[in-house]
Amino acid sequence: MAEVQSILTGNGDQRQTLVVVFLRGGADGLNLVAPLDDDGYYRARPRIAIGRKQAVRLDGFYGLNPLLQALEPAYHDGALAIIHAAGSEDNTRSHFEAQDLMEHGGVTGGGWLGRFLQARNQAGSGPLAAVALGKSIPECLRGSPAATVLQSLDDFSLGDNRPRLTQSLAKLYGAQTDGLAGAGRDTLDALRRVEQLRNTPYLAANGAHYGGDDFSRGLRQVARLIKGRVGLQAASVDLGGWDSHFSQSLIMDPLISRLAKGLAAFYQDLGDEMHRTTVVVMTEFGRRVEENSAFGTDHGRGSVMFVMGGGIEGGRVLGKWPGLSREVLEGPGDLPVTTNYRNVLAPILQRHGAGGKLSQVFPEFNIAPLPLYG
Amino acid sequence: MQLSRRNFLKVGGSSAAWLAAVGCDRLPRELRALYESPKRSGSFQPPTTQDIDPVTHVLNRTAFGPRPGEYTRVRKLGTTPMEAAAAYVEQQLNPQQLDDAEAEYAVRRFETLTEPLGELFEYQEELLQNELMRGALTRAIWSERQLYEVMVQFWSDHFNIDPSKGDCKWLKVADDREVIRKHALGSFPEMLRASALSPAMLWYLDGRVNRRGNMAEKPNENYARELLELHSLGVHGGYTQTDVMEVARCLTGWTVRSKAQEPYFQIGKVEFKLSQHDCGGKQVLGENFPAIPANLDKARREQLGQAELDRVLEIVTNHPATARHLSTKLCQRFIADEPPARAAESVASAFTQSGGDIPTTLRALFATSEFREARGNKIKRPFNYIVSALRATGASTDAGMELIGYLQRMGHAPFNYPTPDGFPEPAAPWLGTLLWRWNFALALSENRINGTRLDFAALLSNAGGDAGLMAHLLGRKPSPDEAQAYYDSGAGLALILSAPAFQRC
Repeated sequence: MAEVQSILTGNGDQRQTLVVVFLRGGADGLNLVAPLDDDGYYRARPRIAIGRKQAVRLDGFYGLNPLLQALEPAYHDGALAIIHAAGSEDNTRSHFEAQDLMEHGGVTGGGWLGRFLQARNQAGSGPLAAVALGKSIPECLRGSPAATVLQSLDDFSLGDNRPRLTQSLAKLYGAQTDGLAGAGRDTLDALRRVEQLRNTPYLAANGAHYGGDDFSRGLRQVARLIKGRVGLQAASVDLGGWDSHFSQSLIMDPLISRLAKGLAAFYQDLGDEMHRTTVVVMTEFGRRVEENSAFGTDHGRGSVMFVMGGGIEGGRVLGKWPGLSREVLEGPGDLPVTTNYRNVLAPILQRHGAGGKLSQVFPEFNIAPLPLYG
Repeated sequence: MQLSRRNFLKVGGSSAAWLAAVGCDRLPRELRALYESPKRSGSFQPPTTQDIDPVTHVLNRTAFGPRPGEYTRVRKLGTTPMEAAAAYVEQQLNPQQLDDAEAEYAVRRFETLTEPLGELFEYQEELLQNELMRGALTRAIWSERQLYEVMVQFWSDHFNIDPSKGDCKWLKVADDREVIRKHALGSFPEMLRASALSPAMLWYLDGRVNRRGNMAEKPNENYARELLELHSLGVHGGYTQTDVMEVARCLTGWTVRSKAQEPYFQIGKVEFKLSQHDCGGKQVLGENFPAIPANLDKARREQLGQAELDRVLEIVTNHPATARHLSTKLCQRFIADEPPARAAESVASAFTQSGGDIPTTLRALFATSEFREARGNKIKRPFNYIVSALRATGASTDAGMELIGYLQRMGHAPFNYPTPDGFPEPAAPWLGTLLWRWNFALALSENRINGTRLDFAALLSNAGGDAGLMAHLLGRKPSPDEAQAYYDSGAGLALILSAPAFQRC
């Protein structure tokens, strides 16, 4: 069946899907995944640190924020890896500059995901190869061939559903045998599949339970498209609002819960399909190590990244922990970046078929891929 | 009188009511261009052949497709279709002789396009980007100088700059005007030089940080590499990694003042800094560049340093690989995705013999039998598809952001390609865009695109009914399947604009 479907979608072996989750606003890596055995952490954050007892222990050193507990199964299954002290080389601590750099993949034109898809798809791609869940195309997808913005599956249709027009098109595109006709048939097929998806109430598998927020809804649509075999190669979903200068827990806690609930439901829902899927979670920068007077944290440098998906050797926190002593902190007191985000993305893109094109995706960067896959 | 946006807004508040009151014929010409569709055709004779004839071929391939009545007009240029096509192409190769007032009036509303370099920094990036896109779209639809606009698109890809990088947000507007549009049907060596010293290009390919203040500093090779790989010799053009490094050394010291630098009024100024130029001896593609002697006076040393750029450009322009590379790309654009070698050779020799004169090179291309015979074998890229549909239907449009939204969806909004190689020309990367083409066709035919309007009843009657309309859109009589689908679909115009044949050119 899978074989038949891959022929129908014209996608061949390209059925792997990369899902990029961007936490906009600078998510506090230190309180998402806390360095429980670094006393410096508790000294710097006497009021807002995650307590050793509350945390979900991952290994001898790190613990998850208790609100991320739903991610524990994936971690213990070895399907979730965490990279600490990850980030970019940007040290402006400006949201705009840092997001721009991270999404462009350097001071260069276009987005890294767009360049990846361009490089990968010189041979052509289907109409649903790249999808941004939300209202606009994020910068990382800039330059992608035919990236589609979808808020829901309703956005993928021919007008308000025109069966007579669709049939006539099927007749004209069906009568020929060249590449254009094949693309026409692929498109009509994708339309049919999406319409079927739309008409079938979607039940998440394996008892997965998504939240009702936009982030969960977005991931649910992505899961639906993956299972619908519509040729989805890359999807982006944003979760914004992490700029926690004041009353950090009031701002962050609901977001952390949404993040955990969405990712855990997605993981459970996809089940075996997770083998051909990778989810990467990133943010433009972390927060200052020391809490401020308003129970918040200011713009910092290093944060965490999460990678969930097929083939990875997860159940580990990767990346070099630099420590939190005064000498190692950067600038005004920030966690230094010991793993550049590109070195996390590089092995993932390789698995997703980047071939020898990585230097095109990340120009002017010496790639040292993180051993995500062992 | 040049009608600026400010003046327009003064009269524009209740312009619709005012229009209704005074009637179009009383409008100043500038305003008429904003409200009327180009050239109302009247009734016209669509093509009557079974296959695309030479006239339709040149309108599809060297222009953005025929407007209502244009086939008849061009057909009259010669006694046979072949002669008529040749006469049309010859007209198009001399764009200055074609009156283009209408298109020029239509783009006047995009004020930033004519702003001098220094003034551009006064504008919001988004406005600049939008006006660039809208200007390109408006001209492609309305200009009488169609081949010129086609070549503008070709060179925009060849010397691609993504405005999202650094100061290119502002500087690309000047690059579009002073490099691409200025030389699109002119001299290739002059265009190459203008591009090498274009502030936007110095930003985009890092020429501005290509320097060697001391021997420890490593020149930035980005521009040098793309100059050889993309702009001139081509990737298999026979240069080596050493040549790339040596070219980069020759170009050290050229820089552009950035937005972050004072004084403000000098932003975007291109400068040569002798102190950052590598004055040592070099060798590029086998030619020696002597070291610049330290004992000469500064002015002389500066002159010698700057001259290295001209010499590099001369060497690469005259290299036989450059003629081959450019002619192959032109043949890919105008003949076939897999360009025929024999045609490419004759085009290359015209390029070489004319010293890189673009009209002469194109004249040779259009004279090849490969060009004449390869009809309907190319797939329109999304931009060309949308422009051809708007032209074919005689729609009026403000080239507004809703229209551009369709291009963005298909990944072909002008000035939005991230890497220096420009939007791909072959069909394969664009085959995923069909659904958005179909949705565009449907929305256009049902007048659901804000700012864009067509008059279907007039179009149908001017074309002499359904059969005539199909023949006009397809450039030939419809096949029985096409005619059947036209009636069965319940949306005939959208169906033909969505059909495989209308994707081709």
